Amino acid sequence: MKKETVLDGPRLDAFSKVTGSERYSVDYYPENFLWAGAKRAMVPHARLLALHTEAAGALPGVFRVLTFRDVAGSNRLGIVRNHQPVLVDEVVRYAGDPVALVLAESKEILAAALDLITVDQELLPCIFDAEEALKDGAPKVHEDNDEGNLLRTVSVCKGDPDTAFGACDAVAGGVFETSRQEHAYLETEAGWAHVDDRGVLTIVASTQHPYRDRREITGALGISLEKLRVIAPYLGGAFGGKDGITVQCLLGLAALCSGGRPVKMWWDRRESFLAGVKRLPARMYYRLGAKGDGTFHALSCRLYFDAGAYAGLAGEVMAMAAEHAGSAYRIPNVNIEGYCVYTNNPVGGPFRGFGVPQVTAGMEQIVDMVAEKLSMDPLELRRVNALRQGDRNCLDVELTHSTGVVECIGKLMEHPLWKDRQAWKTSAPKWKKRGCGIGCMGHAIGYPALVPDEANARLELKKDGTFRLYSGVSDMGQGNASTYVRIAAAILDQDAAAIELLQPDTDHDLPSGSSSASRTTYTFGNAVIEAAGALKETILRCAARSSGLEDIDAVELLPGRVRFKESGRSIPLSDIAGLIDNDDRSQKGYFRAPHDQSTLAIMYLGAHVLFSYGAHLARIEVDILTGKIDVVDYVAVTDAGKVLNRCVYDQQVQGSIAQGIGYALMEDYLVSEGRQETGDLATYIVPTSVDLPDMVSIAVEPEEKTGPFGMKGLGEVVISGCLPAISNAFHDACGVRITRSPLTQERVLSALAGRGEGR
Amino acid sequence: MGRVYLPATLEAVFEILSREPSARLFAGGTDLLVRSSAVRSDEGPLVCLERVEGLSGVSESDGAVRIGASTTHGALMASGFIKERFPLLREAVRHIGAPAVRNMGTIGGNICTASPAGDSLPPLYILDAEVELRSAKEERRMPLSGFISGPGVTALEPGEVLTAVWIDKDHGFNFHHFEKVGQRKAMAISVASMAFAARLDGDGVVIKARSALGSVAPTVFTSQALDAFFAGKPLNEETLGKAAALVREGVSPISDVRASQEYRRTVAGNLLMRLEGARSVGR
Amino acid sequence: MKRKISFTLNGSEISIETDPARRAVDVLRQDLQLTGTKEGCGEGECGACSILVDETVKLSCLMTAAQLEGKKIVTIEGIARGQGLHPIQQSFIEYGAVQCGFCTPGMVIAAVAFLAANPAPTREEIRDAISGNTCRCTGYQKIVDAVEDAAEKMRGGNSDG
Repeated sequence: MKKETVLDGPRLDAFSKVTGSERYSVDYYPENFLWAGAKRAMVPHARLLALHTEAAGALPGVFRVLTFRDVAGSNRLGIVRNHQPVLVDEVVRYAGDPVALVLAESKEILAAALDLITVDQELLPCIFDAEEALKDGAPKVHEDNDEGNLLRTVSVCKGDPDTAFGACDAVAGGVFETSRQEHAYLETEAGWAHVDDRGVLTIVASTQHPYRDRREITGALGISLEKLRVIAPYLGGAFGGKDGITVQCLLGLAALCSGGRPVKMWWDRRESFLAGVKRLPARMYYRLGAKGDGTFHALSCRLYFDAGAYAGLAGEVMAMAAEHAGSAYRIPNVNIEGYCVYTNNPVGGPFRGFGVPQVTAGMEQIVDMVAEKLSMDPLELRRVNALRQGDRNCLDVELTHSTGVVECIGKLMEHPLWKDRQAWKTSAPKWKKRGCGIGCMGHAIGYPALVPDEANARLELKKDGTFRLYSGVSDMGQGNASTYVRIAAAILDQDAAAIELLQPDTDHDLPSGSSSASRTTYTFGNAVIEAAGALKETILRCAARSSGLEDIDAVELLPGRVRFKESGRSIPLSDIAGLIDNDDRSQKGYFRAPHDQSTLAIMYLGAHVLFSYGAHLARIEVDILTGKIDVVDYVAVTDAGKVLNRCVYDQQVQGSIAQGIGYALMEDYLVSEGRQETGDLATYIVPTSVDLPDMVSIAVEPEEKTGPFGMKGLGEVVISGCLPAISNAFHDACGVRITRSPLTQERVLSALAGRGEGR
Repeated sequence: MGRVYLPATLEAVFEILSREPSARLFAGGTDLLVRSSAVRSDEGPLVCLERVEGLSGVSESDGAVRIGASTTHGALMASGFIKERFPLLREAVRHIGAPAVRNMGTIGGNICTASPAGDSLPPLYILDAEVELRSAKEERRMPLSGFISGPGVTALEPGEVLTAVWIDKDHGFNFHHFEKVGQRKAMAISVASMAFAARLDGDGVVIKARSALGSVAPTVFTSQALDAFFAGKPLNEETLGKAAALVREGVSPISDVRASQEYRRTVAGNLLMRLEGARSVGR
Repeated sequence: MKRKISFTLNGSEISIETDPARRAVDVLRQDLQLTGTKEGCGEGECGACSILVDETVKLSCLMTAAQLEGKKIVTIEGIARGQGLHPIQQSFIEYGAVQCGFCTPGMVIAAVAFLAANPAPTREEIRDAISGNTCRCTGYQKIVDAVEDAAEKMRGGNSDG
């Protein structure tokens, strides 16, 4: 198998993207289409009394104005708690809640119509802080929630942490707060939809999970599954923000009410900020105790995650965080309590890392604080405690899969940027202080034990002798589509150009889970391997039999043909295709990721068994006149198993670091009394090209035997290293710790002046 | 729907303004077209100045430099003349936005928008720039410092167009410095900025100095007392520390989504410290 | 009130009739079906809508249709040379500068204009040139690598120095 050469090579989707010919969900302007747009509540908590849509409906060019009364189904979305309205009927719970849907001939008329809609409402008391929301008397976001504002709680207890702290030689504690982060993908939420003359509703949308979308929409709109088709073109970025219903259901509703005309929805940037999900902010109380030799002995933490107005996948984010609260270390006595709480803030949802960046930031700073108390080198302290294959992690799960965190730490230890850091620090120019900081992390691959982590692939030999690969998993820019083709090409010994890939379409009936959870190559890639293997055998068997041979080893697959080894004769694949039954020309592959059902006893959803790891080093310069932090050097050492394609691998590493540095230094989605203050790209600050350094990416490559070609997921593990590495570097530079992120210039100056956290 | 005029002459502009009192002028559109996200028929028509003859370009006459109001920031940066004569202005303009924004935004727009955070403004104040204002009836000039009276408030009369900025050629500065503090290094609105120009003697002692700070007051902050304080002193830590205190007392910043009042006040003073050890470097 | 607006688009003379106050980005995408030019923010912050106007990079979300009159407009669809790709596009592919690809047209436009005026840039100058183009996927490094490589190739250098 010529893996080394065939899995390498440029991204196969790059050509169409670099020429501007690739069509994203935003790029469709169907004939005779109507624009669809939502009226948003703009208040954080209110009882809806009346909607006044007459003026809007009377505006020339407005086709229709829809309200909850036009929703035939349950009018409810959400797969964990089915309680988020398609269009509000009773209670507004956050400022982005949609109250009406307008269909209009142009964007300008749509905007004018939305302005004309008014709402009679009774403002209700609001709650904006997760910890406060758990107290008696706090306003309830969901009246029917028996547990007040508690959405989900998890509790993990291992060993005897209370006693264990008493036996520690060094104990460090602290409270850490992380911000609300916005995905800020370049392509905002968008799509189009239409109902054809058979009554089938087709929705084309920028979505990470067309199959789950379909299941959610049927109940919400009251239409049957067979009459609903969802298609996911390439997404212009997602990072978790499109892992759920955004435009899809409103588009469906609009298409059902548009008199047969296609409908298009495209959230402008302000609406994307207002209505899109955000990374959950967290407040984390940490306590870590160690023995004199550095061995971690006890960990106790209490985590508060702000879910915002609806459940979405917020409880699952908090559970994932709780699972990773101990970072990548072996700790015998552990007590982790996690709380995910409703507030009237914007809805929290998946964002690359899914809870792990938050807890890693807390834990990794506490680790540094312990190192300081023990006067131990922070890398050495981590190395002493780092998990190895065969260890049991903080949740008492045995790590039977590849576990390369010690190797990652080792690479940093020998790196010149670590070794020469003292000399670098002492030569800081005037008004600058320099620091070097470390962050270690682990990140679970795929879904937790309770959720089947499955993929279904289909690979077809077409009659012309080329191939068609049906993807079940959206490509949001990570390049999984390209990798699927290269995997199939490698197994079939074909040129990648001979394999056409179709993006996810629920009509293909290949439910394969979401494009998320660092699973897209690991899980679907394995399904492709099975499908390709089955198709290869089918082709070879057919070719062999065509010459009266039974042994498929007598023949081999080459680009475009099958060759008889002994005689050297070849048959073109187009001829073979004609000899195979139509049904057999298409082969399926299935894969379910490894899981341990016994971990369901440990916590909600169960635990993961497979992890990728990393160790990062950040070298920063702090300007003590302005508080500006410059990341001068960044090294990320990653264990994601084997590298399949170095370019695609580093794309993930570099892109993750960029978002991680943004999260650490400048990204803070500000909400005041439930109203957004940073609702555009002028006030929500993401890094530009001049805000980031060149980054060093080092791969350690233990083989993960369960992964395609020995790989593990890479999409998320890297982002968690940045905030801790930079926070620790800041402490190294200035001798004071900032425990609330982002580390804005203002927070830095306040910290340096000893004024506490500042804004 | 909306109307857009693309006049070729100033006379045509005046004619439009006389007929359409609610007309909104723009050149690059990097401010107006951002604020006006959907051009609607109930708002006044747009008048684009980008093609008006004689409104852009850099020229000299009688010891003074005339910069046409529609001169883009990009064109200012590309001008060798500006680079040589007014490096402080060029340095400030370099910090505006990013390349495409500088290709569209104009010096006239930066002035008429009159944001306290307008990056071209502090150097223009130091250079004692004058604005040339023309209407159908008359032409007048006034100091920039008098033209802008508050955030978004200028002395532009109805029917008037800002047509040029005039700057004397010789100021005798042999040192300049500009620093902008923003939330990131490009595409950032200033949170605090400082422009500084001085004539230093051979030992680095100030003969004369001019300073101007942005984003820390309703308009660009200048202070004759501050500038006088520098005279006769070297730019060492002691001088600058005292100057910083004067700055902190003098500025009147606000808190907004980008920064707090306290931060702006602190940083405004801190920026002075960057001048330490200054030596003459030409202009 | 519609107006006839005539300009050169990707090398060909065209005339359209439209409301002159509409945004240029909407005219390009919706009326002319040139969806290669993207929109990411509608307020000039992200650069996804970048086009060339008389060889200068401008933001089509901040341009009215009226302003297209008489101009030489080039969009991403007009960058490739005949059957092949522009060297910048080729380098973007080879150096992994494309992930989701939504920022890519704007990046290519910015790079084309930049290299025309700066054929031998430093990495810092390249970063500066694309500082108005937001990318959320790449972290910019491979884009800088690609532009650096394209600059060398366009100067007549050999690949992979």
